[in-house]
Amino acid sequence: MKRTSWYHLYKILIRTSIRSRMQYKFNFILASVLAALIQISEFLMVALVLHQFGAIKGWSLHEIGYLFAIMTLSKTLYRTFGNEVHHLEKYLVGGELDQLLTRPMPVLLALLPQNFRIMVGEVLQGGFILCWSLAGMMHSGQIGWTVIPLSLLIIVTGAIILFSIGLATATLGFWTTRIEELQTITEDAARTAAQYPLTLYPKWMSGILLTVIPVGFVNYIPSLYLLRGQGGAWVLAAIAAVAALCLAASLRFWKYGITKYQSTGS
Amino acid sequence: MLYLTLASKAYARNLQYRGAHMVHNLASAMFGYMYACLWIGIGADHSLGEYGTQGMVSYIAFTQSSLWISGFLTNGLGIPLTVRTGQIALDLMRPVHLFTHLMAREWGQIAYQFVYKSIPIYLLFSIVFSLQWPTEVSTLLFAALGLAGASYLSICMNYIIGVTAIWTTESSWLHWGNHAMMNLLAGFFIPLEWLPDWLERLAWLSPYPFLLYVPTRIYLGFEDGSLLWGTLLWCVLMTLICLVITHVMRRKVEVQGG
Repeated sequence: MKRTSWYHLYKILIRTSIRSRMQYKFNFILASVLAALIQISEFLMVALVLHQFGAIKGWSLHEIGYLFAIMTLSKTLYRTFGNEVHHLEKYLVGGELDQLLTRPMPVLLALLPQNFRIMVGEVLQGGFILCWSLAGMMHSGQIGWTVIPLSLLIIVTGAIILFSIGLATATLGFWTTRIEELQTITEDAARTAAQYPLTLYPKWMSGILLTVIPVGFVNYIPSLYLLRGQGGAWVLAAIAAVAALCLAASLRFWKYGITKYQSTGS
Repeated sequence: MLYLTLASKAYARNLQYRGAHMVHNLASAMFGYMYACLWIGIGADHSLGEYGTQGMVSYIAFTQSSLWISGFLTNGLGIPLTVRTGQIALDLMRPVHLFTHLMAREWGQIAYQFVYKSIPIYLLFSIVFSLQWPTEVSTLLFAALGLAGASYLSICMNYIIGVTAIWTTESSWLHWGNHAMMNLLAGFFIPLEWLPDWLERLAWLSPYPFLLYVPTRIYLGFEDGSLLWGTLLWCVLMTLICLVITHVMRRKVEVQGG
């Protein structure tokens, strides 16, 4: 099959997925609003602390808001397209992966559009905090307008890195079947940790967040350059390279993992 | 006797997943560690009031461990699921009150989470952060009472959230809202006295401070047991609400079929 045909097929599968989700419109709107509410409460928790104490290790509220927003939006982008990677356990335990394996297409291409997730709540919330923190920093003259397009770029590279981490964790499920507990560590805990400046943590921990689970490259490292002018434009190129490397490595691991797949039945 | 059996069955059912829960404990401990690091970072530049940096680390260690018995309970005590499957109709027909029946089961769950989640996580924090344990027996006793009251309040709150599934078909939004309130008003990450004045006052009008803040303050030795009267008051009030709501529910049940 040609590359364009794969793309065409992917588009059709995503459209079908959106249609099925839109059957329950009220639920969809309510869930979106409440997802935003949860996000707000999480950010407010830190905002209240900063309101009381001022900066944390030299990082202002706007800067931490920026770290928070980039992480939220990167995660949103990853989960919009790759939600089913995060929920692979369901397929492994229920034996549903067997059906996807029999389709005449790559398993990932069949898996990803199964549930295209429209995360309006997260986009609104992340977008709002991003605009607010950018406006604050531009107003004080800390950053120029070029940060805006560059921020959009790092949201994309960040999403690729998060997808790679998610895919690598999911792949481990081919050996362990259950992956949810592990995902709480590699996806949720790591991502939450990187919502704050990594200098807060002991060296061993920030080391892990930059190498083993490289969430630090999603928002922290780019912020050092974009907000504080540390390093040069090469930082962005390096981040793109890290994203490409993560993606290639995780795809390779996935391909190897799938050869070890044993159906669990239902 | 029946209630004890229900509780012990719920406890025993969880024992099957001890291994997975231990991995999960590691994740929960990581979250606590991260929050403690945040306070250590803030403490490096600011004095942290009566707590001090070590006090705030102890604060976070205790709230993070307590979450498993006063925060992370079965969503809606499992009622939304029984509404979806139609099982709720059978549950209401039993010769046991729905509230006490579900509560007994949840106490088993809480006992399990206390032994296999709260205690291991707190022990881990004790070693990592060299935490000081209270020396007075009365402190431990009051803190235990505070925690038991917090668990009871949380059971009631989850019951109310669960029961709304009967009329709304979708109660997960209340569950999420409850979670958001816990983050802000229960003193989970930030002690209530550091909230803006209006928010602190709002928090004290709600039962949320009694879920985490009050037991933690007592455990750390900042309070005597007098705040427990507040816990008691909320427990009585919540019980009444639960009983009234069950009474209303029994008169009109809508099940969604299987």
